[in-house]
This record gives sequence, structure tokens and C-alpha cells, in this order.
Amino acid sequence: MDEISVTPHEVATSSAAKEASLAAWLCARGRVAIGYSGGVDSAYLAVVARRVLGAENALAIIGRSASYPAEQWATARQVAESFGIEVLELDTDELNDPRYAANPSNRCFFCKTELWSKLVPLAHERGFTTVVDGTNADDLGDYRPGAQAAREHAVASPLADLGFTKAEIRERSRALGIPTWSQPSSPCLSSRLPYGTSVTPQRLGQVEQAERALRALGITDDLRVRYHDDLARVELSRAALAVWLEPANLAELRNAVQSAGFARVALDLRGFRSGSLNVLHGVSAA
Amino acid sequence: MSIRRETPGGQPALEGALAERGLVCRVESRAGLAVLIADEATVAALGDAELRRAALALAREHGFSHVAIELRSEAVTGSRTDASVSRP
Repeated sequence: MDEISVTPHEVATSSAAKEASLAAWLCARGRVAIGYSGGVDSAYLAVVARRVLGAENALAIIGRSASYPAEQWATARQVAESFGIEVLELDTDELNDPRYAANPSNRCFFCKTELWSKLVPLAHERGFTTVVDGTNADDLGDYRPGAQAAREHAVASPLADLGFTKAEIRERSRALGIPTWSQPSSPCLSSRLPYGTSVTPQRLGQVEQAERALRALGITDDLRVRYHDDLARVELSRAALAVWLEPANLAELRNAVQSAGFARVALDLRGFRSGSLNVLHGVSAA
Repeated sequence: MSIRRETPGGQPALEGALAERGLVCRVESRAGLAVLIADEATVAALGDAELRRAALALAREHGFSHVAIELRSEAVTGSRTDASVSRP
């Protein structure tokens, strides 16, 4: 595996300069496989790798399981097709790992261990000695136990190492015409279940269906449906929250979520916040 | 890791504090999450950002990290809400 660290002089300041550094970093590796979800970060990384290295030297690999939203998969395929990116798909089986299914606070470690333990050998078999993920510099300040699994499998994070923030990735994605530039962040569906609530395909499906129903109402901003047994706690952006608290809109919102099988629906008064359940469980500060 | 900031007695105390701000509701405590159960007028009133901020601040003071207002399928009258408030 190639050296993955970045020396200080490689850390540029502007996003365009960072992209030049990223291109140089990729060229130095020659052939790169990307752990690819179709989210903002990995889509950008895959497109840049494809442009810099060519189709035969950049491979996007998708790990599919019940925790991966179907809409996210569709976006991933669409971006890959638009930019001529080679894609491989593999099935991951983290839900059958009782350490994952029990939903501890380090659940992501077991998920990413499952992903990388399958993806990295597959990449190597095909001659891709460098494997990268879309972790960015902002992620480094979050509680992300999955990062440990990436390190253990020698997966590089060039976006983080080169100092790309999420805003910069969106900016460069927009410049490159990648449709994900304005896409809300999209962590896996298991992040909607409080720690200690076991992860099952049925619960993940319920959350996914509820969020899809809300999207069908025209909500395009960040949103999350948090699973609390019989109750769904809906987090909307502040702008959307004011709209959907209007008496005329309440029933439509409630019915959409209840169509996914939740008996009760509640709107979070603070609105969307990434890692909300980490706060609820004291893993992150409020 | 699981750290509870919820304090004993937080639920009825929060109901009282919210009522003082004109938010008459029942509070259901769910491990750090306060679910407010109120009539439609109260739900609609929470469309006001300042009132939401006040409710959030009060909930934090009473040990809750999250507050959500339930969207009920039937109207809950003020009297029914009052009747369902559990006091120690």
C-alpha cells in the first residue's frame, strides 16, 4: 500500500488549488479504487479520479446492504453513468453481525470493517493497490468510529488529508457539474436508530419509507426520520419546520410518516442536526 | 457510552414551566427526549421561532436534550390535555 499521509506543504488553501493537489496525489498512485456511495464526497472523489486517471484506472466500488438507501444507490449509478466511471457492486452483510445489529455507539466500526474487509481485497485482486474513501476534513471533528476500520485496512482519505471541507467539496462539485453538489448529506439508515435499539431490515425499511414519503411532499432540504419504537421523530430544516407547523400542513406530514408504519409522529423543535442521536446518548455535546 | 442529562422530576417541572409560557401540554419523557402532546393551537403556535427557542431552552434546563411536538390525528382539547397531565 502506498504512503497515504500528506506533508504540510501539500495542504493548499483554495479549493481549486486543493483539487490540483488531489489530482497530483491520485496521479502518484496510478490506479485507485474508491469506496463509493454516491454521496457528495465520494461522488466528487470518483469524478476527479476518473478525469485524472482515466476510466481504466479509477474504479468505484459500492457496498450494498439494507442500511444503504435505494435512492442513494440510484444517485450513485446515475453519477457514474454520467461521468463514465467504472462501477463494481458488492453485497455487505453487517446486519448479520450481532456486534453491529446490537447497535452500540461504535456500530460504524463493525459496518466499515465488513465493508473494507470485502472491498479492499476485491480492489487488490483487480490491480487497484490504493483504496480511498470520501472522508473530508470536517468529518475529522465528528465522532466516527468507522474511521478506525478504514485505518486498519489501509484505506486512504485524501480529501481529509488535503484539507477539503464539505463546503469546498460542494463548490468544486458544482464547478465540475456533479449533480450531488447540492445534495443533502446522507448517512446510512442505521444512524436513525438510537444506540441500543437493534438494527433490523424491517426498521431500516420503515425509516427509509418514511423519508421517501416526506421527499415526495417536496421537502428537499436535509431531513431525518429518527426511530423511537412506535414514534417517528422528524427533523426538518428550520425553514421547512416553520412551513410544516402550519395547521393546514400538519395532517399531510403526519400521514406521510404514518404510511411507513409509525403509530405516532412528532416534529423535533430544534430541527435537523447531524448526529442528533449522538447527542441524545451523550456521545456528542448538545 | 450513554450519559443521561435528564433530571428526576424533569417531566412535571417542564410541563409547569411550559405552561407559564402559554404552552399547555403534556410531556412524555423518553430518555432525554421530551415529547410534547398538545392541542392543534399549541402546535401551530410553535411555528413561531422565538417560542420554539424558549421551549428548547426550558427543556434543556429540565434535563432534556431533544424536544419534539407530537402531531396527533385528533384534536386534544385544553381540558383533556390538563386532565392527562400526571403530577407527582
